[in-house]
Amino acid sequence: MARRNANATALSERLSPFQKVYLWLVAGFILGPFIPLIIQSFAFRWAWPDLLPSTWWLEQREKSVLPLSWDYVISPYSQVWEATLNTVFIGCAVTVICLIICLPAARVLARESFRGKPAFEFFLSMPLIVPEAAIGIALLMIFIQIGLAGTYTGIIIVHLIPTIPYMIRMLTAVYQGLGRDFEEQAMILGASRWQILRMVTLPMLLPGVVAGALFTFLVSTNIFLLTFFMGQGKIITLPTLLFSKIAGGTLDASAAGITLVVTVPGIILLVVTERFIKEEAFGKGFGN
Amino acid sequence: MKKTLLTLSLLGGLVTSASYAQDVEAFRDAVTSGSATWEEIQARAKEEGEINLYYWGGSDQINIWMDRFAAPGLEAEGVKLNPVRITGTKDAVDLVLAELGSGKGLGEGSVDAIWVNGENFATLKRQNALFGAFADKLPNSANIEWNADDPRALLNLRDFGVETNASEMPWSGQQYVCSVNTARVAKEDIPSTFADLKGYLEANPGKFAYVKPPHFIGNTFVQAAIYAHNPDGNGAVPFQNSIDDLGAAELARLITPGMEYLKELDGLLLGASGSGARYPEDPSALNGLFLNGEIDFSCQFGLYGVAIGLRDGTYPEGAEQFIFPEGNMIKNKNYLVIPANAPNPAAALVMANYMASVEAQASKLEVAGMPPGIDPWRLSEEDVAKLTAASPGFVGITQQELDANTAPDTNATLVDVIEATWLEYIERKSTDPIDVIVERAVANLN
Amino acid sequence: MGDSAPNELARLRRERRLMLLQLLPVVLVLTVLFGGALVLGVMQSLGFAPWFGVNTFPDFSYFGVLWSQASFWQSLWLTLYYAVAATILSLILGILLALALVRTFPSKTLYKYLYKLPLMIPYTVGIALAVIMLGNGGMLSRLMAFAGLIDDPAQFPQILKTHMGWGIIAVYVWKQTPFVALTIYAVLLGVGRETEEAAAILGANKRQIFFLVTLPQILPGIISSTLIIFAFNIGAFEAPFILGGGFPDTLPVVAWRYFNDADYTLQLQGMATVVSIALIAGGILYSYLAIYRRYERRIGRQ
Repeated sequence: MARRNANATALSERLSPFQKVYLWLVAGFILGPFIPLIIQSFAFRWAWPDLLPSTWWLEQREKSVLPLSWDYVISPYSQVWEATLNTVFIGCAVTVICLIICLPAARVLARESFRGKPAFEFFLSMPLIVPEAAIGIALLMIFIQIGLAGTYTGIIIVHLIPTIPYMIRMLTAVYQGLGRDFEEQAMILGASRWQILRMVTLPMLLPGVVAGALFTFLVSTNIFLLTFFMGQGKIITLPTLLFSKIAGGTLDASAAGITLVVTVPGIILLVVTERFIKEEAFGKGFGN
Repeated sequence: MKKTLLTLSLLGGLVTSASYAQDVEAFRDAVTSGSATWEEIQARAKEEGEINLYYWGGSDQINIWMDRFAAPGLEAEGVKLNPVRITGTKDAVDLVLAELGSGKGLGEGSVDAIWVNGENFATLKRQNALFGAFADKLPNSANIEWNADDPRALLNLRDFGVETNASEMPWSGQQYVCSVNTARVAKEDIPSTFADLKGYLEANPGKFAYVKPPHFIGNTFVQAAIYAHNPDGNGAVPFQNSIDDLGAAELARLITPGMEYLKELDGLLLGASGSGARYPEDPSALNGLFLNGEIDFSCQFGLYGVAIGLRDGTYPEGAEQFIFPEGNMIKNKNYLVIPANAPNPAAALVMANYMASVEAQASKLEVAGMPPGIDPWRLSEEDVAKLTAASPGFVGITQQELDANTAPDTNATLVDVIEATWLEYIERKSTDPIDVIVERAVANLN
Repeated sequence: MGDSAPNELARLRRERRLMLLQLLPVVLVLTVLFGGALVLGVMQSLGFAPWFGVNTFPDFSYFGVLWSQASFWQSLWLTLYYAVAATILSLILGILLALALVRTFPSKTLYKYLYKLPLMIPYTVGIALAVIMLGNGGMLSRLMAFAGLIDDPAQFPQILKTHMGWGIIAVYVWKQTPFVALTIYAVLLGVGRETEEAAAILGANKRQIFFLVTLPQILPGIISSTLIIFAFNIGAFEAPFILGGGFPDTLPVVAWRYFNDADYTLQLQGMATVVSIALIAGGILYSYLAIYRRYERRIGRQ
């Protein structure tokens, strides 16, 4: 103990002064820009160099014929609600399909070794390193021909490409952590395959599966380019809606409001994942 | 649920597609030959039930108008309007052409109508992707001048110099107008010619920018500069010819002074003193620069742009319109076109007819600030009064001044060439002479 | 033994079949969609596009034209510059953050929520934040005007819409620092602090502990997060499109412009651009991995 104390400077449990400042800076970098964004969403006219809007939305609200800022954002005209529903629907569908096709594969990858396994694993992570633009544009041509462009099915199918690698990695990590002993013991005790799956494997897998599902959902809801190509403007999600609002590189009040709305599902997801995904599980998926 | 519907309709489509195509073909022929009665069209439209209108969704006001006025208006006719907001009109044109290319012919596409003009219409026409002559055969076609002997009918008969043959319905008539922030610029400093503008920028470098071509708002500024610098001094006149009539060498000669001017201007524009001129990508970016006082003048299509911009806070309080460039304020129309493979052609016709009604035109003018596309001299006095009452109004200019400084648009076949030349000569700073660049652009586009 | 051999073989075969069956869905989906897209993309870039009435396969002229343009190489340089700069910055900032996160400090629970926020929201939000903060008419510019440092938006140092790409890099770093931090933090939690403590007891100083003990432990995490963010950065479209400095654009934006050109045959040129990006990204990532594997072998891991 005495030796450890002697080396307290080399291996402290507490933050160094630099780290304290650093954490504050990072927090400011991440959250700071949201302050002007919130102000902008309530502004009517906010020109340089004013630090606060010269006219606020509420002052003009009664006078205006058309809905302004938040009135526009929450109205059906902004399509925010439609985009949110689409985003969630597509995210759920992608997650479920991804889970179904990845679970068996992850089990094999975690437990069996076979010839060419490293190459196969590399193949599985390929979608992570090939640009989305390449996949999206090439598929778009075919999807238009077979009538899948501009449909939910088309979008869900393309979303599988970038989500499968993440799902496989996280599920494989879960299976690896699970070990084989429990299933074997259950088998010795006379349980059937189905019973083993239902009573032993699934309950033990569940936390990892939830983590993988949440992460897949997250990835799917964040995809822009593939959705933009396949949606053909007919199916909009939160990222594509926001893109069309800010593509010119300026932000008016309704664009600021929409940006804030697009952030909300992320915050909800953040709270949920923090409860369900253990950092270690995430690390197993990506730390190697 | 939507998916199962889709699958069902796909399956159904396979079974009936042959007879369906014949049915649509018969309907198209009846419409374009004028033998279909309006009642037949309406009945068929009710059967089809919906219409997919693809339009540029970058304006909150237009979006609101579509949902709040156009959709209920069409609901009353038994047709459900599906307004599809796109970021670029070309996306919809691409979709139509891709579908046609993959064998989705009559009645089998997914686009019923597109808000277009200029190059996009010319592309559809060149690729034989138009439904046909419908715009002069609907009840509200009476609101539009179709008589070729009347010079005022020009913009209904020609879209950027390309004959429309009534295959698109005039929807809105626009003019290219510039605005000034009077809080920043003294009255006597407001330019009225391109030379004035350059003079102002030499005194106040960086205080102007125009939208980057190939965006049509940027193209139009370039065209106005080219008209004003026409070496023959006859402005827009030679630019009404197609590239085949004019020839590359002649076009190069005509645009050289204008391009030289724009090149000189490039060094005086926003950001030019730093890392190089910064051209905003679209009108909303331009508005942002104007509001923040980064630029003193802002040019775009929008007769009522300032009135609307003051109403929604996107323009600075001191914004006013002014006449610039004298004699070369480009005027054109935009249209609703029905593509050849529209899945709901009758509903599209009902939509086009509704859009040409005085009611729709008046509410569109009032809510979205989009000028009427129908012609006032074809309307009753009462209807004209309705439109006048709906107008958001000019700020700082009058209709007489606008009319006195009007210029026509450039022929669509020249627009691509001029655009390519701008990109090469100004943006990419090519050192090749303009006639070489034009020659290359013409060769590439054929 | 002699009797059970055929049974054993049959069992093995059955298990093998079962294994293949379980791998089949993923293999099928990825091969058809992803592999199919790749093959199709390459074929299009070589002149196969019967739907435009173009079929000159195999035709290398699209690559020839593309690679002979000076602007292609400028674009490539810009693409790599943004991707590399953002990746390195995110790595450094992320590792520093992870090292701070393993310490105990008040309100750590809250902080662990906070720092992950950018991970959860689309890049487009980051772009909107960059516009409102860093633009010439943005918040920083206004604060400088408030402080009396500038009296015109044009005097504010250009951050967005320049080829230095500060705005693009800022968005990438904003979004990816948390990703790196999370990955490294998870690895750090996994390995525990025993070896670090042992090193400390043996008298190593802070620097020695970091470079000789901690860094090798987190290296696999660094490698995999680098691969992922670099690959994303090189293919990203939104940020350079909205915040970039115009011509010359990054390669994904160049491809986009080709696809949106009035001239339809340019779409094949666009496909050649996209395939070039994929080839370059693949090449860089492959050599990066190869170097790392060699390093791993040298230090005797695996």
